[in-house]
Amino acid sequence: MIDSNQEAAPTSAPAATTTKSHLPGQLPGQTLSPQQRKRRPILQIKKLTKQFEAFTAVDSVDLTLYEGEIFALLGSSGCGKSTLLRMLAGFETPTSGSILLDGEELIGVPPYKRPVNMMFQSYALFPYMTVKQNIAFGLKQERLPRAEIEERVQKMLRLVHMEDYTERRPFQLSGGQRQRVALARSLAKEPRVLLLDEPMGALDKKLRERMRLELVDIINSVGVTCLMVTHDQEEAMTMADRIAIMDRGEFIQIGGPRELYENPNCRFSAEFIGSVNIFDCTLKSSNKTQSLIQAADFPNDIELAHDIDLADGMPLTIALRPEKIYISKERPQESTNWCEGTVDNIAYLGDISIYYVTLPNKRIVSSTLPNVDRFKVGLPTWDDHVFLSWDPESCIALTF
Amino acid sequence: MTTTLIGPNLSFIRRAFLRNKDRSRLRRERRARRQLRENTWRDYAVLSIPYLWMLLFFLLPFLIIFKISLSVTEIAIPPYSPLVTFEEGAMQIILHLENYTSIFYDEDWTYLRSYLKSVEVAGFATLFCLLIGYPIAWALSTCRSTWRNVFFMLVIMPSWTSFVVRIYAWMTILKKNGLINDVLIAMGIIDEPIQLLQTDFAVYIGIVYCYLPYMVLPLFSALMKVDYTLVEAASDLGCRPIRNFFTTLVPQTKNGIVAGAMLVFIPAMGEYVIPELLGGKGSILIGRILWQEFFNNRDWPLASAVSITMLAILVIPIIWFYKIQRREEKA
Repeated sequence: MIDSNQEAAPTSAPAATTTKSHLPGQLPGQTLSPQQRKRRPILQIKKLTKQFEAFTAVDSVDLTLYEGEIFALLGSSGCGKSTLLRMLAGFETPTSGSILLDGEELIGVPPYKRPVNMMFQSYALFPYMTVKQNIAFGLKQERLPRAEIEERVQKMLRLVHMEDYTERRPFQLSGGQRQRVALARSLAKEPRVLLLDEPMGALDKKLRERMRLELVDIINSVGVTCLMVTHDQEEAMTMADRIAIMDRGEFIQIGGPRELYENPNCRFSAEFIGSVNIFDCTLKSSNKTQSLIQAADFPNDIELAHDIDLADGMPLTIALRPEKIYISKERPQESTNWCEGTVDNIAYLGDISIYYVTLPNKRIVSSTLPNVDRFKVGLPTWDDHVFLSWDPESCIALTF
Repeated sequence: MTTTLIGPNLSFIRRAFLRNKDRSRLRRERRARRQLRENTWRDYAVLSIPYLWMLLFFLLPFLIIFKISLSVTEIAIPPYSPLVTFEEGAMQIILHLENYTSIFYDEDWTYLRSYLKSVEVAGFATLFCLLIGYPIAWALSTCRSTWRNVFFMLVIMPSWTSFVVRIYAWMTILKKNGLINDVLIAMGIIDEPIQLLQTDFAVYIGIVYCYLPYMVLPLFSALMKVDYTLVEAASDLGCRPIRNFFTTLVPQTKNGIVAGAMLVFIPAMGEYVIPELLGGKGSILIGRILWQEFFNNRDWPLASAVSITMLAILVIPIIWFYKIQRREEKA
């Protein structure tokens, strides 16, 4: 009964297929690799490690950021993503490794001399300063001429649509307005890399969805390279061009949103993004065009339309997304890629319903169905005997 | 915040003493906001206890001193003239203001000079306490909690011994053949013992040493509440460490600084024991004048006038700080 993230399932599934309209020349749902975009590497992290006494927060991490991209570090709390971000800002000193920004070593450079700026989770706006003073703060530190500061502050205010609030104090602003001021403040110095620490962490759910796209629009209009940290996969998928899934201080997988969802490289990735059914299996046979796999939970074989680089008889894991499992009361014609069970429970989630089907060996498999279809005549309901089937290309074979 | 229209809302007192049974009743009351704004006699009863205390042990003695300051000295018991007299059926109230005029029209300027000297000594001592106390408070607030208790002990424990004993201890350290001179001579830095005792330097050491905990504690509690992400944000935006300290830490700990400064300045202003024991003949602080007038000259009215004037001098900065505070809260 492997259904990793049940409450996230309904929301994450549509998010995965959301087209990202903000990158020109990009096909819906398709993420071009940075090399294809022919962008210049801007930030290179090499073998970066941070140890807190006995605990290793970041473990020999390598990462290259390309000019103009939005990159998300995604992971649960304590995975080291914030520590990595704080090392880039200069608030933590790495134990070993190097951070190169435009080819220059950042380690040893104090935070106030680094050409990176951070937007804090709590925004960290100075409460005793007005909106304008907050945005001008970074520029004043550079001792720029007054007229130039004024001009750049006005530009930033226009960028984040806060022209009418210049004399307000932070506590007189709403959450979304505060976020925009914080963004303007961190963009005012035109940083080489913008660091976002849980950018939506302090907002409520409705506002979050709106601010995500607004934030991406602003970042893209400025063209700044952006590294964000989040625990919210939906946020990472809507905002970022590339995502790194992090666990225990290491990168598990790096890729575009669609790549991560459709082609997870391991069980952790598959379970982390969206929800998934995981089956323990053994490989029966594999050739160029077809692989046959024996699942432990049901008699029928699983058939894949490609080869698997594994010796016959070896164990492997098959991951199946709930929305790719068809549920029906009629027995499928094929001999492979289906199983049978009883509808144990149905969760109604508004846009979709999740069917929890119990297999004869008590394993529970989840399958989602859009509610547009669900209430049409003939669809299964509680305690119905049902058949679950799927396409060969829906199965993800995971070897570790 | 919502109650400023009608006056201070004392309902928090009622709420604190509510039994569980009453809480649901209060919830109904909350709907009727008007009711909440009205203070019941119980609220006033609770509040009256500290007020009564202040009245009995502060205001009443103050009024007595004020009354004495308006009389002249007499050889009698008590040694001052009565304020109200009856003579042949006529009630006379005689307000002698000569004590106050003699403070300000003294040909040697004795009193004014010692007031100024007191303000100077107390002011510099407060500044030194702040300069020494801030790093201590910062270390206390940022160190590990296991060490914190130890450091706290080190700050507070000296105050467990008698104040006078500690000053005597400083006398033995500072005197001509005391610890400091012995060590300096042994190290060959000086040949002759230097005069440390009976100097302003010794007075500052005594005041700073004795009042440092009163500076450290409010600063510590202010520093514990500091939002360090603001410090990081300022640093991230290019603010150098020293400037960062003044732009993020100082505004956040301003209340602690003001409270600590008050707690040091006010007692240091009227300090008698420390200048008497450590200070030289030249440093006539107002505390010493008070002592001399009361006990050596037995001039109670003049001494009272001196102390009332000192209180006025102290009240002015307090009101000033309070006003600034209020203005900032409103803004």
